[in-house]
Amino acid sequence: MIKKRNLLKLLAAALLFAIGDIWVYTSLLDSFRSYYETNSMKEVTLFARTAPDDSVYYDDWIASLPGEIAGGRAMILSLNEDSEFVPAAGDSVAGAIWDAYKDSEDFRKGLESVYYLLPYKIPSGIPAAELARLVPEASADISPEGMQIYLLPIPDESGFDVTGAVLMAVPAGSAGQFEELLGGMCVLAWIIFVTLFAVGTLSRDPITGYAIIFLLAVSITFVAYPLFESFRLTFIDGGVFSLAIWQKTFSVEYLRPFWGSLLLGILTASISTLIGFAFAFLTERTGARGKKLIGSLATMPVISPPFSLTLSLILLFGNNGLITHQLLGIDFSIYGLGGLVLAQTIGMFPIAYMTLSSVLRSIDSTVEDAALDLQATRLRTFLTITLPLSLPGLLSSWLLVFTNSLADFANPLLLAGSYRVLSVEAYIEVTGRNNLGGGAALSLLLLLPTLTAFFAQRYWVNRKSVVTVTGKPSTRLAELATKPVRLGLQSFVWICLAFILALYGTIIAGCFVKNWGIDYTFTLANFGEALSRGYQSIISTVTLAAIATPIAGIIAMAASVIVVRRTFIGKRILEVLLMTPFAIPGTLLGISYVLAFNKPPLLLIGTAAIIVINYVIRELPVGLETGAANLRQIDPAIEEAAQDLGADSSKVFTSVVLPLIRPAFLTSMSYTFVRSMTAVSAVIFLISARWYHLTVQIYNFSENIRFGLASVLATVLIIIVMGAFCLMQFLVRDKGLTEKNIVR
Amino acid sequence: MSKKNSVSVTLEGVTKIYKNTKGRPDVVAVHESDFVVQPGDLVTLLGPSGCGKTTTLRMIAGFELPSTGRILIGQQDVTMLPPNARDTATVFQSYGLFPHLTVGENVAYGLKLRKIPHADSAKKVKEFLAMVGLADLYDRAPGRLSGGQQQRVALARSLIVEPSVLLLDEPLSNLDALLREQMRVEIRRIQKTFGITAVYVTHDRVEAMSLSDQVIVMKDGEIKQMGSPQEIYENPNSKFVAGFVGKVAFFPVELLEKTGNGWTCRLGQKTMTLNRFAADVEADKEAVIMARPESLRLVEPGAGSIAGTVHMNVYLGHSIETFVDTSYGEVLIQVDDPASKKIFPEGSQVSVDFVPERVRILRG
Repeated sequence: MIKKRNLLKLLAAALLFAIGDIWVYTSLLDSFRSYYETNSMKEVTLFARTAPDDSVYYDDWIASLPGEIAGGRAMILSLNEDSEFVPAAGDSVAGAIWDAYKDSEDFRKGLESVYYLLPYKIPSGIPAAELARLVPEASADISPEGMQIYLLPIPDESGFDVTGAVLMAVPAGSAGQFEELLGGMCVLAWIIFVTLFAVGTLSRDPITGYAIIFLLAVSITFVAYPLFESFRLTFIDGGVFSLAIWQKTFSVEYLRPFWGSLLLGILTASISTLIGFAFAFLTERTGARGKKLIGSLATMPVISPPFSLTLSLILLFGNNGLITHQLLGIDFSIYGLGGLVLAQTIGMFPIAYMTLSSVLRSIDSTVEDAALDLQATRLRTFLTITLPLSLPGLLSSWLLVFTNSLADFANPLLLAGSYRVLSVEAYIEVTGRNNLGGGAALSLLLLLPTLTAFFAQRYWVNRKSVVTVTGKPSTRLAELATKPVRLGLQSFVWICLAFILALYGTIIAGCFVKNWGIDYTFTLANFGEALSRGYQSIISTVTLAAIATPIAGIIAMAASVIVVRRTFIGKRILEVLLMTPFAIPGTLLGISYVLAFNKPPLLLIGTAAIIVINYVIRELPVGLETGAANLRQIDPAIEEAAQDLGADSSKVFTSVVLPLIRPAFLTSMSYTFVRSMTAVSAVIFLISARWYHLTVQIYNFSENIRFGLASVLATVLIIIVMGAFCLMQFLVRDKGLTEKNIVR
Repeated sequence: MSKKNSVSVTLEGVTKIYKNTKGRPDVVAVHESDFVVQPGDLVTLLGPSGCGKTTTLRMIAGFELPSTGRILIGQQDVTMLPPNARDTATVFQSYGLFPHLTVGENVAYGLKLRKIPHADSAKKVKEFLAMVGLADLYDRAPGRLSGGQQQRVALARSLIVEPSVLLLDEPLSNLDALLREQMRVEIRRIQKTFGITAVYVTHDRVEAMSLSDQVIVMKDGEIKQMGSPQEIYENPNSKFVAGFVGKVAFFPVELLEKTGNGWTCRLGQKTMTLNRFAADVEADKEAVIMARPESLRLVEPGAGSIAGTVHMNVYLGHSIETFVDTSYGEVLIQVDDPASKKIFPEGSQVSVDFVPERVRILRG
């Protein structure tokens, strides 16, 4: 159903643009070529001026030419008594050229011109095949484009008389790269123009079309391309295809950290799920007091910055820790598997808790009441009803924590000691050994269990989950725990929370101590030094996160509308591409970006843009999911009504969709902000001296045992993040701000 | 409330095929639809669910693209135009009110898009809300209104932009019976006052009959018949249409020969000549006589055409519905003004009779 007229319009426009494009291309190329020509003529002329007078230095001078002009060959000709040029000294290639062409018309003209002090360029040049025939032994280092031949005069001191000449052969190919780039740009411009014009004229809904093209372009450039690059480069060693990197990666040396990551993941996931279930059970299935407080305290570690809780674990239990060394005086090391499991569990059990509490909440407690009513004991009810019903939830939370643990980078970086995990190993490979391919291979290896767990969680466990069908949910919860059990659980939960609070307290205490572990005198000096040294990174961290936040929010909401409400070819691909950054470890994304964007045409490493792009791309999936979930609750007729009344796609989006999914919009923005402020695994590869990240600075201070400074910066970061988080919670919860005040 | 020039709506060979990608066959939702809605008419698309009536409406509104064919509003080909570029307004089954806007803002939405100055728009909104009887609900949230009120807001929101064509997608299906009747009258009244061309989708035959200038009966994506309500009811062209628009009994007959402008046919032992018949009946094909309950009579056994036993009498006040078991199955006979007629008690032998002018021959 495409109108002929529009198709003709498109063809005409494409043709016109192509003509213009070609015109621009050729004229640019011509002017570039002539510029290049005069420039190289100048270059060789200048070099010829440096030719020595004394024949003793001829050979040295000729040998020095390739250093000045890459691949250049030269021969010096001197003037004999008959005013003829004869070879004095020269390179083998130049000599061969001289022998082959000295009697040609071009050379005759050239030498004549040189005799009158005018430099001359042989117009045709010599093709590579011809050169290879002349000098077979040098054929390896002759550029495929052939060589340009110059004949240049050597004037005497007066500058009015010629004493000799230089024959110079210069590779013709150096302009090729630019010409290729120019051609590529012109073709790209044409493709972009035609695509946009096609969408504009042929599509009924150009705005959506543009949005889809934009999203596709972004996800291909910043998700597919870097990942492909990192994958491709693991197969390349020294510029040629090779399996060396993978052979090394699958050697025993690197399979140890792989196993290390897995073991750590299994331990952390199991312990976190157990603790999370205890928390969830207490808040969802018993009449314990202070549920709200438990809930908000337990979720704190999720949004606290990386390194902060780890730092306070080191302060308390490290080699010079307050508890282990000063109070107990034992020789204990937090570094290693044990400490890692502890740190990760503290950081990740909230994930399990949040997952499981929503699972328990969704199981109608009427079924438990029914079991109790049928005279099952409480334990039996728990074992036969509650536990089986929450089994998919338990599995799902285990897998979630497992993937998080594998992808975790901050904790192992500080705490691993001699224990080796993949994420850190990849980082060391890249930054320490400057082996980008190896780092990419290691993080790709990490992808294996991560993706397995991710897909298992998403497509298998989620489908298994039991939905309890009920009428009205019962209001009163069944008391499922006997009093001693409940008290036991309660004390366990509060001990855990007290420990977490103590960790936060330690960070704050760390700010005021002169030299933790050695000298505990009170001081305020840390603040001055930390803030002055960290000022720049605080500003840049907040700035970049603040820039990324609204961009990610808007794009996520627009993407969710497109994913939920539109059908088009390639939608599945777009969805997968947009969701991918959620499943892959940050380390891999960071390394991929370094590999892909540290070279033309997208030389972005070192700029603020690449950091912002990385934030947006990484946090997009969560916003997209939230927005999509929100949107599915909304009757499509509402949007259709708006469109029917005359609103185009963008107006429908701004006037109807965005206000309706405002909670998702705000949630996604707060999530992006918090996550960007606390990012480390990907951003550590992307930071530059100008755009530094606070978390990395905290890490650096901790590594240099400047715990006071690290504590101050960690505290600052915690305050900013918690502040932003609370603000967003307030905005989302306060109906007056999210929904318009409507008079009743 | 100015009166706009009414326009027609024309569908030319409109077909909609839903491509099914997951290995399932394509679904033909609408097949070769051709019809013209005359300016100022209200046309009902009537049919069982899944017959393509809503798809047809959504194609007129622009939410769906026809696979082939053309749609014209007035003289303008709108086939490829997006919904926002068409001069149509839809009242949705689920109303589609904007939950984040007040009633007044909902109604004003279309005016705002048309850049009508605020003062004018506010005045007009009040006027239209008054017209649908909701003048004092200006500042309410739509979520706090009853179904009927929401329905009126949706109607006002569509009408205020003075569309050339009003499209209504089962607008009354979410209302209770009494309200439905009220709103039906209301919609018809407003549509007539504005002289607006309207297309109305419903599966409720009473709604279709009472509202429309023309009814289009659809089945499996095809138009079965188009005509005035009376034509559709009295002279259906197929058993499906006859059965869908009202209660009906069918008696198989054998067509003997065409005599003048009627058919001589045999029902059981009796031979009769009937003048009303569908165009597609043929001598050697199966045929039935279609009779509405009100055109059948109950007479003493042996006196009528079909013998039977009274199975059940349902007393409705103004009439009695008598269910009679016959050799052709159960037949419903409506006895009007029962107090003045003889009522055969349940279980008694009766005979069913009819006046030849009141029945019609259809293809079997």
